Amino acid sequence: MNWFKVLLVPIALTSQLVAAEVAVIVHPSNAAAVDQAEITRLFTGRGTSFAGGAKATPLNLAESAALRADFDSKVLGKSSSQMKAYWSKLVFTGKGTPPKELGDDAAMKAAVAADPTAIGYIDAASVDASVKVIGKF
Amino acid sequence: MKKSIAGMAVLLAIYCGQLQAETEISGFASVVGGKVLSGTGVEAFGLEPTFLANYPTVGFYTEEWTFKPDSKYGLQFSSELTEGLTATAQMVGRGADDYKAKFEWAYLSYALNEHWTLQAGKKRLPLYYYSDFFDVSYAYLWIRPPADNYTWQIFNYNGVNAQFNYQLEDWTVSGNIYTGREDDTTNKLLSEFFGSEPVREIWKNIVGGVLSFNRDWFDLRLTYMTYQNERFRSGAPVLWNGENSRRGKFAGISTNIDYNNWILLSELNRLTLDGSDFDTYLVSGGYRINEWTPYISYADFDSEGEVHSTTSVGVRWDFHSSAAFKVQYDDVSDDGFSGGQVAGDSKSLTFGIDLVF
Repeated sequence: MNWFKVLLVPIALTSQLVAAEVAVIVHPSNAAAVDQAEITRLFTGRGTSFAGGAKATPLNLAESAALRADFDSKVLGKSSSQMKAYWSKLVFTGKGTPPKELGDDAAMKAAVAADPTAIGYIDAASVDASVKVIGKF
Repeated sequence: MKKSIAGMAVLLAIYCGQLQAETEISGFASVVGGKVLSGTGVEAFGLEPTFLANYPTVGFYTEEWTFKPDSKYGLQFSSELTEGLTATAQMVGRGADDYKAKFEWAYLSYALNEHWTLQAGKKRLPLYYYSDFFDVSYAYLWIRPPADNYTWQIFNYNGVNAQFNYQLEDWTVSGNIYTGREDDTTNKLLSEFFGSEPVREIWKNIVGGVLSFNRDWFDLRLTYMTYQNERFRSGAPVLWNGENSRRGKFAGISTNIDYNNWILLSELNRLTLDGSDFDTYLVSGGYRINEWTPYISYADFDSEGEVHSTTSVGVRWDFHSSAAFKVQYDDVSDDGFSGGQVAGDSKSLTFGIDLVF
């Protein structure tokens, strides 16, 4: 029966990956236009400011949050393992520091609502007026 | 002494930083075992069948199972002292050195602005593509960067480094310029593997630079370094053409592609030392299937009498978000002549786990 498990496991993993819609959010006062390339730039440490020149502080969800894998794959186009390998190279060679991590949607929403420089993401279903959505993936 | 002073200064800075800011601790580790399945050894040196997997630290496998050559751990301490000023120290212990922890990195970093950062202290020489993260095996595909390319006896330097990062349309242009020196009083590779008397190896007046162009799935890296080499064998200066120093010039180009789960890695390098060329290259390909990445690799070293290559096949399995299992088969062909042999032909199997935390 082992072949059966071999078939089922990838299906289970795949269905998990398409579950939630990711809403990328900023502070309501932030008027910068941010596209997917810009988000990728900020979350890979290749840039530290929004297009208009204002400082940007990317905030990540911890790996324990299910939405983290969705964000990595849908927005950054990488698996969480690939992102980990990418950051390991930068961290241990003194070339970069990964974004600060927060535990869950509620902590993320509160942090973004309180910081005009922040950019983060939450489940689209958790969005309210305290944050501004700049893209859904 | 120099090494310990740099290490102490940065440690002190981190300790002071701890009083006001938080110190971040991160680390990496690899537990890798393996053995030579068959090999010729080198009769002329009385060397048994051997696979020299790591030249700089003299990590080698024989026909007995061992976990020493590629196993290692590293701990990094980083502390922001004031806005923009950070102290970082990294301790690495390797099986090849009986796991004794040494400071491989100890430097202060100051962010001048969004684009430029200045660093001073002890760092890894960023010669080849994988040189400065050679120990962080989780960050690359194989068990280790192909040994034929990573053969140099000096891998750290004490000095200053300026690194930059710019965005030009869809391209990220980054790199660094560095200068410094290294004085290795008892060089392990030259003293132990390529000789039997203490060798002091000095690289001074090191000046080098790296320029990288990065875009989505494409990565191009150019590297250049020049240095002056002095060597003492049992305390006596080594002479080259009657001079006690010689100049080395190193240049390399690396292109990497990661597209639609296909991975293609390549490196081509030349060191010119005293009129002789030491040429190295590697080509590696892999295909990512969810958590599995099977790969193949070919690496080559060619100088006057020293000629060797390694063909490798293996697979990386990302079974956990911070850990990967790898198994690799290496077939080394040692075609050295006129005393230029290294460790003979060998076929080896190695496997292990890499992790970061």
